[in-house]
Formats: sequence, structure tokens, C-alpha cells
Amino acid sequence: MATTDRVPVTVLTGFLGSGKTTLLNRILSEQHGKRIAVIENEFGEVGVDHQLVIGAEEEIFETNNGCICCTVRGDLLRILGQLLKRRDKFDYIIVETTGMADPGPVAQTFFLDDEFKTQFVLDAIVTLVDARHIEGHLEQMNEPAEQVAFADVVLLNKTDLVSEADLERIERRIRAMNGTARIFRTRNAEVPIAQVLDVGAFDLQRALAVDGSFLEPQYPFEWAGVYALSAGEHMLRSGAESHAAHDHHGHDHDHHHEHGPDCAHDHHAEHVHDHGHDHDHGHDHGDGLGVVLLPVAAATADGLTASIETAVRAFAEDSTAVACGGALSPGPQLFRIDAAHEGGQFHLQVPQAGAYALFFEHAPSEFNLRLEGAKPAAERRFASHHHDGEISSIGISDPRPLDPQKFNDWMSYLLKSRGEDIFRMKGVVSLQGEDRRYVFHGVHMMYDGQLERPWPAGKPRSNTLVFIGRKLDRQELEAGFHSCLA
Amino acid sequence: MKQTAAILEPRGSIALDDYVADLGWSHDGTRLAVAGGEGKVFLLHRDGESLRARQVAEHGLGAIAVAWQPGGKVFVSSGQDSCVNLYDGDSGERRVQRRPSKQWTTALAWSPNGDRLATAAGREIVVWSAALESERTLSSLDAVVAAIAWDKPGRDLAAAINGGLVLHRLDGDVVEVRRLKWAAPCTTVAFSPNGKVVATGTQDGSVHFWYLATGRDSQMRGYPSRVAHTEWDGDGKYLATVAHDQIVVWDFRGKGPEGSRPVQLLGHTERVVGVAFQPRGGYLATIGLDWRISLWLPGKAPRALDAHLTDAEPTVLRWSPDGRFIAVGERSGRLTIFELVRLV
Repeated sequence: MATTDRVPVTVLTGFLGSGKTTLLNRILSEQHGKRIAVIENEFGEVGVDHQLVIGAEEEIFETNNGCICCTVRGDLLRILGQLLKRRDKFDYIIVETTGMADPGPVAQTFFLDDEFKTQFVLDAIVTLVDARHIEGHLEQMNEPAEQVAFADVVLLNKTDLVSEADLERIERRIRAMNGTARIFRTRNAEVPIAQVLDVGAFDLQRALAVDGSFLEPQYPFEWAGVYALSAGEHMLRSGAESHAAHDHHGHDHDHHHEHGPDCAHDHHAEHVHDHGHDHDHGHDHGDGLGVVLLPVAAATADGLTASIETAVRAFAEDSTAVACGGALSPGPQLFRIDAAHEGGQFHLQVPQAGAYALFFEHAPSEFNLRLEGAKPAAERRFASHHHDGEISSIGISDPRPLDPQKFNDWMSYLLKSRGEDIFRMKGVVSLQGEDRRYVFHGVHMMYDGQLERPWPAGKPRSNTLVFIGRKLDRQELEAGFHSCLA
Repeated sequence: MKQTAAILEPRGSIALDDYVADLGWSHDGTRLAVAGGEGKVFLLHRDGESLRARQVAEHGLGAIAVAWQPGGKVFVSSGQDSCVNLYDGDSGERRVQRRPSKQWTTALAWSPNGDRLATAAGREIVVWSAALESERTLSSLDAVVAAIAWDKPGRDLAAAINGGLVLHRLDGDVVEVRRLKWAAPCTTVAFSPNGKVVATGTQDGSVHFWYLATGRDSQMRGYPSRVAHTEWDGDGKYLATVAHDQIVVWDFRGKGPEGSRPVQLLGHTERVVGVAFQPRGGYLATIGLDWRISLWLPGKAPRALDAHLTDAEPTVLRWSPDGRFIAVGERSGRLTIFELVRLV
């Protein structure tokens, strides 16, 4: 059967209250002229015009002799099999998972066997995120992070309930876990249907168009700026500027970060008391924000780039804590400033006029950090290094062709040895002696790869591979990749 | 080979306005019931090569299964509206409608003497009186029922679930439950007609069977994917099993199939979607997504005796109770009758 005949399936995940039902109702009530079948996670069968809503009870099948990764949804196998028994197929099928669901089994169902692969195509995993509660959820349990990691599309929903600064921080955090997902900010799950149905998310080139920054190595800092500074003292301030303080504070009371309203308050203790858990694995600014101030050759982008190596080394060193009102001096020295301090101020002591680069562990906008009276001559963002449950994305891009057998061996090894930790992988590969692109994708240990359209004649070819998972080791993956070079 | 050679001769065809999802023959072979995947239920009258069809009901959103009462004059249907309907087999009039569950009733199985009907929906099996007047729910199942089957005496009712088979011995008000555990999603169940063996096909590509007298079990591996069909011949000598385009027949004569080489029936090039042994005979008919209907005599020849091409994707295949005819349904709504003609 031609691939174009396959019915696209969208998997809808998201924590309780993230807006899945709102989105579903929106899709079903909109006049789009498409025949859609929805498989919901609860009973109650309702047909809306030509659309079908089916209640399903999640039933997990372990296949392949009980291997924990090779689980599929037995109920989906039966229901989808039944939905095929029509002369005209549905245009789309949407599968909604329960709030606490691991998206693995539902995604893996579509890799199970040829019977399924020829009839259905997993079009996209769409994850709804409740902007107001996601940070708390990420710190309390694993499921929300897994749902984000699996996603092709993330709807950052309920954006009206949080501030712009919160949204930026959340979005960066999502991006750090999942380098390829398209992120849309929504209120009431309002999003054009075309962004969630039939999006062809498994088209890797489209996925990579989102943001290639995760292909870069990860740096211990998220932002750097280069300034031309005069000799003397400069003031680095944190927290809201006075006229905005009230607004910002108004959004803060229900969040789980450590922006505090005043100097005397012990925020960390309050946080622990509130939620009764420990923050070792969370996104925690409690130890202060890492800052390095380096003299550089020129206040230009090149000057900044030339100082990156020194900054990386400085970030690996022991840090010096700087309290509110304390001072920082230039050099390969890591300072930790109490940036969470509302209205905090820190003195930069500049011995002589010149170009200086400031490296911040987290984006300065998270703390409204600003160097008073100075604007960066050049600035640069770096791939975020937050680790939510140690989930991250690693990309590899390399133009050299691969040996087919070696690549096959590496993939087999990866699936066997790391399948449990690799949630998703996708790639387009240039194989030695092959005119067509080899395109693959996988979910845990389930894998599907095939030769697709030819490489354009006379143009350079390139391998692009993406891994999203837990405890991924860039060096190990790169070494594996390099072992496949023809 | 001469005594056993046979072909299939077309004996009438009709176009129905629905996908043929399931079909069933009346005991005398004069009528058929059809469940349409888009919802329609049809009653067909057969007179020589002439077929007349009438829509008798509709299951909202899709019909799933039909089943004629063995030796009786009624048939039942189930659908995605969760209903089970009982019809008069002559007039097609719907006599009774029941809704045993909110979930789809996916399997219908009459006891061999037609006095009880078992229906399966989700984790529940209901055993009804023949007129659907009284019911008993079997709540012994901790997983969704994939298939159900009665043994030949109608004493044991087996359910295939994720984790094995569950046998229910129904004796008056007492239900005795026997669990045949196997750690795999079991998707089919079939008792051998001689009552000695019960077999299941699994999602992970194996066939598992139990000798009922001793409880001894065996596993047959090596299938490329889910074993979707397990069908016994009329004597319990052969078990035909299907996974994707492979038809594998195990020989249960003598010491049984363990350690033996099965017969592989070669011919289909795409997934086989229907397989059935002739009642009380040795012929086997199969249909596949290569749009082919094939006739075999397992044990005599590994190649098909005859093959026909369909006009569209075939969906379902059933023998008439007397073993003379097969009816083949197609995705397009076409239903064709073939007669088994022996060449002497």
C-alpha cells in the first residue's frame, strides 16, 4: 500500500488540566470538513456528525518476551483495526492519553508490525503544557517531562495566567529537554488546526527547521554579552525595576521558583515546606547564578566568540559566592551572585577601560539582570543546560558518508543497550554508495528506517541525527557516530 | 492427487452498500447475514445463483459481528453502538435489542447446540439465553477479552486475554474457572473438535497450546508477527495458523506437533486476512490482501489447488455449514459465493 494511503494519527498528551479536552472539543466543533475519529481515555461514546468519539481503556501489552520498553496499547490495536473497516478511511485519528500516561506505549503501537505500519502513520505527538503549573509538576514527577520529551508539538497553554518572563523561562526549559519540538503559546488551547493535525512532524527537515541550536554542544552558560566599559565601578542590578515590581509580584505567588519579594525571606525553606519534597533534580537557582566577567580583545561578536573557551573553563572551577551588595572583578573566576534577590545590586570593578564579556549561567531576563547604563555591543544565547530528570536532546550533524553495515551495527547496539533511555530518535543519513536518503525514526527500542527520495544531484549531502532521552551522553553518541564513518 | 483435486466455482454475487466486515450463514445455507463496517446489517436470501439483500438494521457508527444460531432461525449482530440485536432469520425483523456494556461488543459466539449466546465486551463476557431474555455476566477476567470460543460439547467457554486463556465451565448456576497462563497477549482461541487441545495465537508471534487432560502446554515460535488466526480442521488433525502472509499447518496426529516440521502453505504474497477449514472436511480456504482466494488441502499438497482474484480487498470468508460453499466479502461491499467442486 502506498504510504500516502496511511491514516495520520495524532497523539494528544498532557497533564490533567492542561487543556486536552478543550483542544479536542475545538477540533471536533470546527468546520474543517474532515472526518476525524477520536479515541479518548474514558468511556462515553458520542458521534458528532461524521466524527466518531470512542472511549478506550488503556491496556498495555508487553511484547517481545516482557521487555519493559516494548510495550504497546492493546486497546488501540483493536480499536484502530475496527476503524479500518470502512470503504472510506478517516482523514485523521486522534488518540488522547490519560494525564499521567507515558507516551511510549501509544507511540510504539505504530511501530509494532507491518499490519499497522502500512495502515497508519504516527503524524505527531502533541503535548499540552499548563504554563501555570508545569514547573511545579516537572519538579514533583517524571511524567510531565517525558510527555515534553516525546512531543513533536508543544502547546504552552494558559499563557494568560503567567507573566512574559515566566513564559520565556518555561519555554527555554522545554527547549532544553526537547530540541526539535515546535512550541506554540496558546490561551484556551486556541491554535490553528493545521498546527496539530497532519503536520508531518516525522519529517525531520521540518522538525529541524524549528531550532538547530541543540545541534551545538551544551555550554555551562545560557547567555553572554560583550561590552565596552570605562574604568571604575559598574552596577549589575537584578529583579524588577520599581515601577514594574507590583505586576511581577502579582504573578509570583503561585509559582515554584525562588524569586523572592525581599532580602530577609528564606525562600528555599519556604519552598520545601510548601511542597514537601527536595529539589535536587529541579531547576534550582538556590545556590546563586553563575557569572564570569572576562577581559576580551574587542567589543565585537568575534571578541565574544574568542572568549568562550576561557569562560567554559572558568565555569568548571570552584565558585565564590557574592551576596547582595558584593563585588565581582574581571578574570577567569566563577562568581555566584544572589540574583534571585529582588532589587539586588552587585558591583563590577573594572580596573581599566576596555572590552569585557559577561557570561551568565541562566538567561539574564529570568532575573531581569541588567548592567546599568551599558548595552551589550554583541550578545549570544547558548543551548540551555537545565536538566529536567536528566532529559535532554542531542543532535549530530556531519557531512561525511556512513558505512551501511557499521551504521546498522551501531543502531542495533544503541537500541539494545540504550533503548530504555532514548525516548525518541530521528535521522536522515547519507550512506556510502547509496543515492537515496536513509530516513529513520524510533521510539525506545522500536525502530523504523527506510530509503526515501534521492539526494539532490550535485549538492552536498549531510547526516542529521537527533536523540531525545534521559541521561544521554553526547561524547558516547558522537563516538558511536564516528565509528560508522565510511 | 486426482481424488482430492477440487476447484472453486463462482455461484452468484451481489453488491452491498457497505464494507463487508463480517458474515454468517444460516444452518441450511439459504440465507446469510452481513455486518457492514459503516453500520448496516443485511439479510440475504439465496436461491440458486440468485442473491437478494435487504437492510434490516443499522448499528450507529459501525457493525462489528453477526452470528446465526446453529440449527435455529435467528441471528444476532453487534456494533459500535454497543448494542446486541437479535433478528428473525426469515423476516429480518429485529426482535430484541440489548446493551450489555458501554463498550463495543466485539465477539459473538453461539454454543454449538444454539441454546446460549456468549458476547464479549471489554473485560466482560455475558452468557445469554437463546432469546436474550436472561443473562449471566462472567466477571472472572482481569483483562480485555480478545476472542471467545466454545468447545464442541458446549460445556467450556474460553476467553483469550493478555496473559493467557481463561476457561469457564458452565454447569447450572456454578461457574468453574480454569486459568491457562501464558505471559503474552493472546489474541485468538480455538478448541480442537475432539476436545483434546485448546490453542491460541499471540501478539508476539507464537502459537501456544494446552493438552486439556494433563494441562501440559507447548509453544510454537518463529512467526514473523502477530498470529491472527488459529483454525482447526473438522477432525482435530490439523491446526492452521496464520501470521502475515505465512500459513503454517501443524499436524496433531500421533505424537503431536512438538519437534515436527509444520507444513507451510505457499502462495499468498500479502497478509492473509481470512482462513477457514471446511466443516467436517479437509479443505482449507484462505483470502489475502493480494486479492486472492485460495483453496488448499493441507496434508496433501503445499500449493493451492485453486485460486481466484477478487475485485477489491477481501475482508471475510465463511464456509456454509454443509461445507459445500464459501462466501467471500470485500471492502467494496461485494459478496460472492463459490461452490467447492471436486474433480474426479
